[in-house]
Amino acid sequence: MFRTGSRRAQDTGPAAEALRLVKVSKTYGSDGGAVTALDGVTLGLGRGTFTAVMGPSGSGKSTLLQCAAGLDRPDSGIVRVDGTELTGGSEAELTKFRRGRIGFVFQQYNLLETLTVAQNTVLPLRLAGRRVDRKRAREVLAQVGLGDRLGHRPDQLSGGQRQRVAIARALVTEPRVIFADEPTGALDTRSARDVLRLLQEAVRVHGRTVVMVTHDPVAASYADAVLFLADGRLVGRMDTPTADAVAERLAHLGDDVTVGV
Amino acid sequence: MFVLAMRSIRQRPGRFLATLLSAFLGAVIIMMFNSLHDTAGQPGVDAVSRDTLSTSASVVGGYGTLLVFFAVASTLTVNVRQRAAELELLRCSGATPAQIRRMVVGEAVLVALAGAALAIGPAILGGQALLDAFQDSGQVARSVDYSFGVFALDSGVAVTLLAAAGAAFLAVRRATRRHEQRGRARTFLAYAALATGGVAVISTFAFSAKDAALMAPPAYGAILLSVGFALLAPRLLRSMLDRLELTGASGWLAVRNLRERADHLAGILMSLILFTAMATATLYMQTVESDAIEASGLKKSVETKNLETLNFTVVGIIVVFVCIMLVNSLYAATTYRRREFGQQRLAGATPGQVLRTVGTEGLIVTVTGVFFGTVAALAGIVPFTLVRTDSVLPDQGIGIYVAVVAVSVAVTLGTSLVTARRVLRAPAVEAVALAA
Repeated sequence: MFRTGSRRAQDTGPAAEALRLVKVSKTYGSDGGAVTALDGVTLGLGRGTFTAVMGPSGSGKSTLLQCAAGLDRPDSGIVRVDGTELTGGSEAELTKFRRGRIGFVFQQYNLLETLTVAQNTVLPLRLAGRRVDRKRAREVLAQVGLGDRLGHRPDQLSGGQRQRVAIARALVTEPRVIFADEPTGALDTRSARDVLRLLQEAVRVHGRTVVMVTHDPVAASYADAVLFLADGRLVGRMDTPTADAVAERLAHLGDDVTVGV
Repeated sequence: MFVLAMRSIRQRPGRFLATLLSAFLGAVIIMMFNSLHDTAGQPGVDAVSRDTLSTSASVVGGYGTLLVFFAVASTLTVNVRQRAAELELLRCSGATPAQIRRMVVGEAVLVALAGAALAIGPAILGGQALLDAFQDSGQVARSVDYSFGVFALDSGVAVTLLAAAGAAFLAVRRATRRHEQRGRARTFLAYAALATGGVAVISTFAFSAKDAALMAPPAYGAILLSVGFALLAPRLLRSMLDRLELTGASGWLAVRNLRERADHLAGILMSLILFTAMATATLYMQTVESDAIEASGLKKSVETKNLETLNFTVVGIIVVFVCIMLVNSLYAATTYRRREFGQQRLAGATPGQVLRTVGTEGLIVTVTGVFFGTVAALAGIVPFTLVRTDSVLPDQGIGIYVAVVAVSVAVTLGTSLVTARRVLRAPAVEAVALAA
């Protein structure tokens, strides 16, 4: 269903590395009250991987996601999405960069209340001036289990359903990387499981790359690998994680030695 | 609760600025014109002068009261809507609806009192200038001295306080009541206003060109028609939108946003319709009348001059008040959409696209408001011109109309776009998080 062949002509095809960060630093505030949110983070994520980023509150995981997704600008360092460097342009330039390559899923869904489920789903396509393929939008919505809710408005849906609309919206543009910021943070366990399975499916079945920030070890266990972040630095990595192992590791984060990933 | 009201004003004086400004301007106008009653009531004022002064005071005083009520009501409605979270918090902390009502009404009365107190000085200066103008044009005898007395002060303070308290009461009642049920009453009022307005306009033909009261039926007819349209505004906007399909992401979003927000835009549309109708109708009828008198070679009587002064003053007051109401409600409505703009940007909208959406929405609202305002104005102007001069439309040119439309467009688009630009300065992620 997510044919990579349907991309626009000038596209050269996906790069082997979906995301690369080189020595990315970000400080908030100035002088006295300055807080270092990211301290020289270097990482690379291959295409078709599902990575969770974990760490305690204030560890910089949301900042990492925002810098990697071009929503915020790092003070120094390089961010490369799908082989293309994200340079500090105007917001309009960054937006245009994101449109073709990046999809988002947020904790608070961020669907537009004035639009229906179907209209919300195709909004990124419309904004980018791309052809709106209603049939495909219906397919994607059916895939996330909302084929019968096309005309509903977000406030007529449950939290889990809203998040599934957000996932459909992120998938419909066929992005190279999907960034998810606490996607299950506001959901009950059952809805959370549905959402995580959909993200997993996007990676395993359709070859997308997903980066998910979470504080929930169970959510992280759906990923292929977990990166641990503390005080703005990467302090560990765990492949094929289980919820228990992640929780255990989180509890002892302070004991870890800084490692490169 | 009164202590709470005092404290909430002292903590955040800024959010009461719009209410204070409307109360202040309203009090200035009411006191200014009512001081003419005081001036007329002095011993030794001749009958003609007294008549001029009292008529102006009564007509403009009445208009002023209405406008103060509308302006304060509009600013307070916006104020209460923006504080929905705060009021909800109070309710959760054990405040009864009556206590919340007392707090909001208390705040409004305090602000109105401050506005009225500030208004005394400017009102005395304005009243003096008004008397000078009347004396220069020969409508009032030179011997009459200006007086600012008990009537001006009392009526100014009383009207401002009552208008503020009443408006606050209505605003908070609307906010604390979960379900609205005034749809039917509103529709009935709207059709009643349209029907009465229609009858008034048609009755113009029962008058002859020389009748002194010729201007009254079409003028009141136009006003009533515009009130009727204004009450139906959200429905009229929706029917316009159903016929409108814009291409481009911004236009597409604008049409959908407006369809959903039509009810919230009722106040803005109402101001636009009333402004366009009243300003256009009054200004054109007055110029037609003045030119007709000039053409007949007669000298203007004191009554005609009075009418002219009053018409221009009333239009001036309406322009000022409508501008305040429009700027205030558009500013509030646009700031309120901070989160929505953030969500659009996160979905892939550039700041330019968001601004274009806001601009398109503003344009559609302005066109709708100006269109129905123009219909109401024409309904008054055409019969009046037909009876007075035998031509269908005034031959004074399109200049006045262009100016009226330009003011509407400038205020609506200017406020929305400047506010939206400011709102867009915050990063999208922050905008989405803060209002959550």
